[in-house]
Amino acid sequence: MSNRRLLVFNILRGVAAIMLALAVAAVFIFLTSKEPLTAMKYLLLGPLVSFKATGLVFNSTGLFTILAAMIPTIFTGLAVCVMFSANQFNLAGEGVVMLGGFVGALCGIYLKINSPLHPVVCVLVAAAVGGVIMLIPALLKVKLGASEMVTSLMLNYIIMFVVLHFLNYNFADRTKGSTQTYPILDTARIPEIIANGTKLTWGFVIAIIFVVLVALFMYRTKWGYAIRMIGINQSFAKYSGMQVGAMIVLSQVIGGVLSGMGGSIEVLGRFNSFLWKELPGYGWAGITIAILAKNNPIFVPFAAFFIAYLNKGCQQMATYSDVPSEMIDIIQAAIFLFFAAEQFLAKYRQKIVVKNTQMDLANQAKAAANAEGGSH
Amino acid sequence: MEQEDFVVQMKGISKVYPNGIAANQHVDFFVRKGEIHALMGENGAGKSTLMKILFGLEEPTDGEIIVNGELVHLTSPSVAISKGIGMVHQHFMLVPSLTVAENIVLGMAPKKSGIIVDYKKAVEITEENAKRFNLLVDPNAKVMDIPVGMKQKVEILKALVRGARILILDEPTAVLTTQETGELFKELVSLKEQGFTIVFISHKLNEIKQITDRLTIMRNGKSMGVYETAGISEAEISRLMVGRDVVLSVQKEKSQPEGSVLKVRDLEYTNKWNKKVLDGVSFSVRRGEILGIAGVEGNGQRELVEMLFSLNVPDAGTATVNGENILQTEQRAIREKGVSLVPEDRMVYGIAGPATIEENVISDRYTKKQFNKGALFNVKGIRSESDHLIADYRILCKSRKQQVKMLSGGNIQKVVVARELSSKPKLIIADQPTRGIDVGATEFIRAKIVELSRAGAAVLLVSADLNEVIELSDSLIVMYGGKIVAYFDDTSQLDDMVMGEYMLGLKHQTDEEIRRVCYE
Repeated sequence: MSNRRLLVFNILRGVAAIMLALAVAAVFIFLTSKEPLTAMKYLLLGPLVSFKATGLVFNSTGLFTILAAMIPTIFTGLAVCVMFSANQFNLAGEGVVMLGGFVGALCGIYLKINSPLHPVVCVLVAAAVGGVIMLIPALLKVKLGASEMVTSLMLNYIIMFVVLHFLNYNFADRTKGSTQTYPILDTARIPEIIANGTKLTWGFVIAIIFVVLVALFMYRTKWGYAIRMIGINQSFAKYSGMQVGAMIVLSQVIGGVLSGMGGSIEVLGRFNSFLWKELPGYGWAGITIAILAKNNPIFVPFAAFFIAYLNKGCQQMATYSDVPSEMIDIIQAAIFLFFAAEQFLAKYRQKIVVKNTQMDLANQAKAAANAEGGSH
Repeated sequence: MEQEDFVVQMKGISKVYPNGIAANQHVDFFVRKGEIHALMGENGAGKSTLMKILFGLEEPTDGEIIVNGELVHLTSPSVAISKGIGMVHQHFMLVPSLTVAENIVLGMAPKKSGIIVDYKKAVEITEENAKRFNLLVDPNAKVMDIPVGMKQKVEILKALVRGARILILDEPTAVLTTQETGELFKELVSLKEQGFTIVFISHKLNEIKQITDRLTIMRNGKSMGVYETAGISEAEISRLMVGRDVVLSVQKEKSQPEGSVLKVRDLEYTNKWNKKVLDGVSFSVRRGEILGIAGVEGNGQRELVEMLFSLNVPDAGTATVNGENILQTEQRAIREKGVSLVPEDRMVYGIAGPATIEENVISDRYTKKQFNKGALFNVKGIRSESDHLIADYRILCKSRKQQVKMLSGGNIQKVVVARELSSKPKLIIADQPTRGIDVGATEFIRAKIVELSRAGAAVLLVSADLNEVIELSDSLIVMYGGKIVAYFDDTSQLDDMVMGEYMLGLKHQTDEEIRRVCYE
């Protein structure tokens, strides 16, 4: 009873945080825009609705593009869930996505496997490289006590410049106007589910499968259990006899594997060659998504959908009104703030707790009175 | 009763913590001007919570506070201080590396031309106040070098210098020697004569009788009434505090100890403050016996337990369980040797608060075959294990999926005990197993410990509760200053007066007598 009330509270609290964040965004839009109502309309409805003279029309292409945009961020969201669950604030997902995309593309270009297994091999190699790279911050943490937050953050830029170096000097297709690799072989491409140009590939199905796998891992295996307990209370985990160091490393390696997969699936599904010249941003989105999902893998697709929807809304707003698409950053920051603030609505929560406790006390008194009455 | 008589009136105070524990329920607490008023009750009765509310550290859920006739909202300690309320905490809030004078003026230091701390002035302020309040301290000594008794004087001075007229002392004698206690009492009486009001938290009956005018007794978060100290007997006080006439006595058969399970030899440890905390500690715990460790807290018991579970590293010495070393090993290996620990700090080591009861009771056994099916957990196996433990250990909860932090203190401890005692341990280390929990849970946990020891487990019991160690143990050692100062192979004839003398270091046995505890 009381647990359910607190769960409802937590959901309402999340919704309230999002509404407040949108309200903050609205304030800025009204302050800066000459056509605030148009801007708001495209921000909130634009992603899924076309504005026709006859009225509002559902836009299925919009839905497909949103789902397509979720593919890499579901992977990075899952990666961050696993790492944050162990209380490891590893931020290298961003760099590993880029590395995974690069490695996946190279496998797609230079490995000649004429079978449907070609993309599978590419993704697996990218995943393995991602896992190995994450050993760097993980082992530095466990062996030397270096903060994984600092090392992983710096690792992003090391990865980026190393990738750019190899792209520029070893793998660039000189016949093209911009820096990019040679084309990825057709056998390595991940096809669309429906060939309609929205880039909604089979990668989406794989992402959803991984949501289930990661949820099972976290809540139904001994490793996931240990990772979560370490994240909640490391002293307790150590005292209970868990292998704390090994699990801290494992959580980050899994984060690397998932990020590497996400990057390679995105590149093999969306592009003809590898052409990222800066960090793609999916790793950062993954952090937002994991926070919205409260580190629970099951909620990751919903949070990823929400973020993709907001992104699309901001693009629409920028296209059809005078508000720049950077508004997304303000909205995300506000959501962050309200979500992360433990004390947000804490007074209301305390009221629920007090009510529950008083009910429990009353019930106890009643039970005691009954017991006494019965014994006489 | 005239209204103006009271300096503090707390009316109908209730406090529910975010974890749902109702620490205070409609408590009334009135203090007269210029009296020494004792606030009494067992651990967990709600005394500290009530005083934290009065000092602005916690906000009450309900109720009102009137100080000097004025309705106040004590939202922070600085508000409380501005109303003339000062508090001396049980664990001193001093900066060890600073001098006494620096600690006294901390946060309100006199400044030369507004920037540089005027240390000379600080010393002057300290000396002047020390003289005025008759609390003699050395202003230039570093706090880490002075004895506990003087640290307490510094704390009291700190509060007085900040203008406190009402002093709250939270178990001030818990850390003091007999002489220091006597000195403190003289100082308190002298402060009272100067017109200060003192609230004195304690559960030591003789002290209360000695210096207080009136007392309020708390039990289970409720006030059991206020009494003139002269008009109430010690027996009556203890009945009101505990809720029964008899001290809890434990039913147990005589132990038949045989063969040592735990052997500790010559354990040495010097802590980072360069204090020798363990000084040649040697003893054995035998199969089928409960060996108690008595002693005032802070005499090495905590460190000893840490060493035995590899949560700390000793400088020298050995410890073995059935012949195998347990020092500096992984906790998993220690547990595999059959050692389990009911830790002193249950919130830090004992539980993962936000996790469910189920997740908490399997933390030492989740890798076992019966709980896994291939790569996945065997959900049914885990469910039946936790349901069994909840039933066997009578954990009051809504379901095994309830968060542990939402349980009451007694039930949280039952979760810890359920896990630690159900792993078929050969050696049970129980560190303050019943501290701060209700009587029902206490009785239950004690009975469980006796049951297991009679079934052949060796038990090492550490407890600051003298009744508990005497009642529960078959044999007993006393620790003082990092050493074992006494060993009693039979606890049935012990009385607390004699024990007290050993615990305070006034007496100690000969080395031969103590060495008897080292069984092979």
